[in-house]
Amino acid sequence: MANISLQHLDKIYDNNVQAVYDFNLDVKDGEFIVLVGPSGCGKSTTLRMVAGLEDISKGKLLLDGKDITTAPAKDRDMAMVFQNYALYGHMTIYENMAFSLTLRKEDPNVIHKKVLAAAEILGLTDQLNKKPKQLSGGQRQRVAMGRAIVRSPKIFLFDEPLSNLDAKLRGATRREILLLHKRMNATMLYVTHDQTEALTLADRIVCMSMGHVQQVGTPLELYDTPANLFVASFIGLPPMNFFDVTVGDGELKGKYFTYKLSDAQKALLGSYKGKDIVLGVRPEDIATGGDIKVDVFSNENLGMSTLVHGSLCGAKTADAQITCKLRGWCDYRQGDGVAVQFKKVHFFDKETTNAIR
Amino acid sequence: MTQNLNDAKTIALDRMRYTKNTFSSRMCYLAILFDVFYFVSIYESDVGNWYYQWLIGVSIVYNLVFMLISFLASEGVKNYKAGYGYLQFGLGIGQLVRIFILPNLAHAAMTKQVIDKKQVEVPVMQDGQYFLVIALLIASAVCCFAAGVVAVKRSRTLAAYNASLEKA
Repeated sequence: MANISLQHLDKIYDNNVQAVYDFNLDVKDGEFIVLVGPSGCGKSTTLRMVAGLEDISKGKLLLDGKDITTAPAKDRDMAMVFQNYALYGHMTIYENMAFSLTLRKEDPNVIHKKVLAAAEILGLTDQLNKKPKQLSGGQRQRVAMGRAIVRSPKIFLFDEPLSNLDAKLRGATRREILLLHKRMNATMLYVTHDQTEALTLADRIVCMSMGHVQQVGTPLELYDTPANLFVASFIGLPPMNFFDVTVGDGELKGKYFTYKLSDAQKALLGSYKGKDIVLGVRPEDIATGGDIKVDVFSNENLGMSTLVHGSLCGAKTADAQITCKLRGWCDYRQGDGVAVQFKKVHFFDKETTNAIR
Repeated sequence: MTQNLNDAKTIALDRMRYTKNTFSSRMCYLAILFDVFYFVSIYESDVGNWYYQWLIGVSIVYNLVFMLISFLASEGVKNYKAGYGYLQFGLGIGQLVRIFILPNLAHAAMTKQVIDKKQVEVPVMQDGQYFLVIALLIASAVCCFAAGVVAVKRSRTLAAYNASLEKA
């Protein structure tokens, strides 16, 4: 396996549209990196630049210290797994998995051993004589992974591999990818727009928006200490609630509530006194039993918890909307009033949108 | 149902469980190709109406049947079905037998042609064409035999290997 270094990568298309701006990342040997962001943020473009499927407009790409910026895709020793599997329909699963090695003219006996080993890892041994159309979506994706495994590449690249699967299968295949990573200890770059995949799979997450890297960190870092409003709103399900507040004397004054600051928070916001900031609070950090009034307009029971959607003080405006994830089974009805408190909050600079730390 | 893959011979055997018998299948296609060349080569000589007889009709029909069966057999042998191997062997014998029918008769038959304003008797099929069509039929037959022999051998080997796996 290998280290890969992406240094100041830019991608500018022929029509002068810039898809990626100054992308920097050092991926360590055996690390699982997930690029996450909304559609069009440049994550797939970045992956394709790494794979050699897109030219790099500016910057350098190093694999084990060797510059491969302009190297053709076939010489990069990377294997890519696509969203649509990209299997050959007229070939059996065995032939699909063996195909790349056959092209390399490797010894058929060696190919056979590698294919059987990969099939064993992925639980495809009984499917080897079948054609792709006889397999389920999850099995097809495993075949696509198997095809990557047999090549024993230095880097595995995944481009939204689970997007075509239904929710249940996605969860199962996600666990398989995680097990595969642990078993092979391979360096993996994984692109997804699904934050659940990012949080569950990654050693480190690269959160992107509009071609810019917003934050690089462990899943916990991105969840607990988001770098800016974008990361805070993108990571976490349901998303974080945001309220415009003014920093007062020992408290934050919002349009619909007042939040009392702790000593540590007072110190943190010392330089913002009298200024407007954004207060962020995750739905799961809201609990019943405070002095903030929420008028319920819908109640979604999830089993272990309940999502309560409502508005602060019954206001109809967008800035009063709030989502609370309350513990246990609740049966609030439309129009019910609930008193809540914020257990943990995040502060963001209103102008720069960066987190205040 | 997997075997301990330690030696090259066992691996090669095990590989047969997942790969097709493409050699036999390709030999079938080649046999068809040589047959087509034979069929188009037989009319090369300009010999009047000697060929307009019932035998050429039978030959045309046999050609069609040969191509169809060989094509079907190519799929059978590809999947290690011994029966199709035997069938291909039979078709090979048929190709050899054909040497002694139309080509031999045409080579032996004489027809009148005007050469240098003189009417002379010449064979319907000249030596050059005769040896060419024989070579094509032999080539087609050899391909059929190769396809058949390899198919039967590999099918038996695979069946024995699968039986040993079942026992294990």
